[in-house]
Amino acid sequence: MNVNQLIYRNLKKNIKNYFLYVFALIFSVALYFAFVTLQYDPSMDETSGSIKGAAAIRSASFLLFAMISIFLLYANTIFIKRRSKEIGLFQLIGMTKNKIFRILTAENFILYFGSVILGIFIGFSISKFILLVLFKITEVKRIATLHFSSEALIQTLIVFSLIYIFIMLMNYIFIKKHYILSLFHVISTTEAKVQKMSWLQMLIGVLGILLITTGYYISSKLFSGSFSTVNELFLTMIFILTSVIIGTYLFYKGSVSFISHLIRKKKNGYLSINEVLSLTSIMFRMKSNALLLTIITTVSALAISFLSLSYISYYSAEKNAQNNVAADFSIPNVQDAEIFKQKLTTNHIQYTEYQIDVIQVNINAEQIIETNLGELGIDPSLMSAPVISDLSIKNIDLAANETLLTGNDTLMFLSLKDAGSIQWIGQNDITPHEYIGFKNEYFISWYFTNGGPAAIVDELVFKQLKNDLNPEIQLPSFTHIGIHITEENDLEQANDIFKALGFNSNNAYDSRLEMMNDWKMNMGFLMFIVSFLGLTFLVTSGCILYFKQMGEGEDEKPNYTILRKLGYTQSDLLKGIRGKQIYNFGIPLIIGLLHSFFAVKSGWFFFGTELWTPMIIVMGIYTALYSIFGMLSVLYYKKVINDSL
Amino acid sequence: MKVLEANRIHKSYGNKFNKQEVLKGLNMRVEKGEFVSIMGASGSGKTTLLNVLSSIDKLSHGSIKIEETEITNMKEKKLAEFRKKHLGFIFQEYNLLDTLTVKENILLPLSITKVSKSEAEQRFKSVVTELGIYEIKDKYPNQISGGQKQRTSAARAFIHEPSIIFADEPTGALDSKSASDLLFKISEFNNKRNTTVVMVTHDPVAASYSHRVIFIQDGQIYTILHRGDQSREMFLKDVMNTQAVLGGVHYER
Repeated sequence: MNVNQLIYRNLKKNIKNYFLYVFALIFSVALYFAFVTLQYDPSMDETSGSIKGAAAIRSASFLLFAMISIFLLYANTIFIKRRSKEIGLFQLIGMTKNKIFRILTAENFILYFGSVILGIFIGFSISKFILLVLFKITEVKRIATLHFSSEALIQTLIVFSLIYIFIMLMNYIFIKKHYILSLFHVISTTEAKVQKMSWLQMLIGVLGILLITTGYYISSKLFSGSFSTVNELFLTMIFILTSVIIGTYLFYKGSVSFISHLIRKKKNGYLSINEVLSLTSIMFRMKSNALLLTIITTVSALAISFLSLSYISYYSAEKNAQNNVAADFSIPNVQDAEIFKQKLTTNHIQYTEYQIDVIQVNINAEQIIETNLGELGIDPSLMSAPVISDLSIKNIDLAANETLLTGNDTLMFLSLKDAGSIQWIGQNDITPHEYIGFKNEYFISWYFTNGGPAAIVDELVFKQLKNDLNPEIQLPSFTHIGIHITEENDLEQANDIFKALGFNSNNAYDSRLEMMNDWKMNMGFLMFIVSFLGLTFLVTSGCILYFKQMGEGEDEKPNYTILRKLGYTQSDLLKGIRGKQIYNFGIPLIIGLLHSFFAVKSGWFFFGTELWTPMIIVMGIYTALYSIFGMLSVLYYKKVINDSL
Repeated sequence: MKVLEANRIHKSYGNKFNKQEVLKGLNMRVEKGEFVSIMGASGSGKTTLLNVLSSIDKLSHGSIKIEETEITNMKEKKLAEFRKKHLGFIFQEYNLLDTLTVKENILLPLSITKVSKSEAEQRFKSVVTELGIYEIKDKYPNQISGGQKQRTSAARAFIHEPSIIFADEPTGALDSKSASDLLFKISEFNNKRNTTVVMVTHDPVAASYSHRVIFIQDGQIYTILHRGDQSREMFLKDVMNTQAVLGGVHYER
């Protein structure tokens, strides 16, 4: 048998063994190529142009590259270790290290670039579909056309050749570094020794859980007003992150084995097959993979959080637009509003109109604000606030000395007391008032509020304040003109009129629909990129866990032989393996989901108005895709168990 | 009463064109409470014989009955069922699960058959004290000596009171002191509990602990030695003489 035949045979054997690796390689090349194709696609300008999307895409493609290369290099370390015996054998029969390296290189070359070419082909064919998805979620109305971009091809080839060179370099170092004898023992040295539970470990176990729960607890308090300065907030966030990440590491290092140890202790030696296969193996193995699992958990938590948050904002686009524009159209200028209304009438669009007078008055709110605003350069004893009369709002009637604030307090980083005294500071007079509460509703547009609260006072007080205006803080407009379109079907047409008049380029004029579409486009684009990265991460990390399980399965094969000799059937063992895989894949998944749940929960209201539906959808999809790898690993174990007797 | 009965068993490996016959129509019988050794040179087929007798390997043709039950045509599932009720195993490489403690290893066969916890505990205590490994019950296999491992393995084989215990070179990896300790314990169990033991060995000393030694050569029974009322030392001499006659091939290791 000559070298070429050897390469060919190795190849044939390896494709069968590493089909998932090949699959993951093809998949990542396809994703990368599709992504880069998008990057060079001329139609992207329209979708991405609005938010400097080109930069976003470029950095995303870099992240993609980083993720894929880390994955491929890591996978390679697993495989070269598994093949170390083969390499040792080659050396034993007298091949030089260089020759072995050449064989490996040639073999890898065919496997690797075969997959790359296939991946590029697939990537090209799915790029249209991906573009379609992007257009769909950003609601850009365009026909997705397919362009083959030679720049994308070249970039992909360069990137993957680079990774190939790195892989070969790693293999070279591996072969050079190891002696023949050590090659035969490489696999066994990587697994941790089975030991009795020590006190230190129990301590680590308890500490891990403690750190994670502390992080969770503090995260739930993060924006509730307990941390009122920006500095404090920042430090708290850092604390939560470190405590949770270190906690996660310790959790894998100690807590898992600690908990399993407690369960085993309770069983007093009498273990069922499920416990034999799952508990005892996880107890020792998770520890040795603690770092890897921590990274996977943390990054998947990040991915899920970002996905959830971007989906939350996408999902709440409508509600958000409502908060910012207090009508279908808001035009704080009487003449322009008149023009718009005329246009609507000529186009037979029915509408209703309302006007609210708005003035800006300085307020001394020192008594009721708990947040330390000094750091932001705001003096709580002298701030300007938009004021409207209670006559303009239905169902609200205030006494002469009462003030009601409206808006959304959580979004403003403000924590207010339930009630207290304030002062309205006019040009000449100071009027003491009672602040009586906060109403989470919007009556006037962003133009007047600038994101802050709006105050409602009694009509009489409003008149007094109006006569005593401080001219320095007034806005050009004193009237909020809200226009409601009666028939929802006409909204689109009305919006077109709004745009045709050029009102959409005026920051003071708002169209709710326009704002919603803008929002959807930006968030949709962001969501698209994040999910692209998330998907790549999901597949690569799933594959890594699967590869780890492959190795574990081979290692545990003698155990299955023993158990089958003792009289356990294959289905008994398989049941146990299923349990084991639920732990192996489930623990990192659940921890990741929990992390992201608490992360999202602590700050989701900055992004949108709906928490549960979008978050559960994102988590559900992630879990479903992730479980596929768990199931694949069970299939692999099935084969191992079948072969074990 | 016959516990095990094998009639004209054949076992061959390989395909049609390259067939290697390992067992060539072997007959054997084991009575209840007997301690039988199987000896033979390397490649004589003794381990294959043990494997087919213990249902781990399939026969090419022939019949094997254990406690009057024909096992040759059993389905995989029934075989497993059968193994867990009727058979116990001791192997040269101990075959302990190294992620389980000594106690958990020993209790494994009971947890398959769903024996109650209190009874399991009771049986565990009696077996373990007899074998003298009670002190190490919470240790892991990599923390104990080879002899202790093999005694753990023996305890696991005995605990569910099987009809037959199959031992494949149980002393192969032990030093002579641990080996004789173990064999002494096994024959003690055999006497006290009337458990049938079938042991494959290449070590005449180990074989001398049994009631009967079956010599195989080239897949067939060469001769059978009975101990009868002889002392163990005398029997050992007999065994060694027979082994010397048996082609003068030295045993492995």
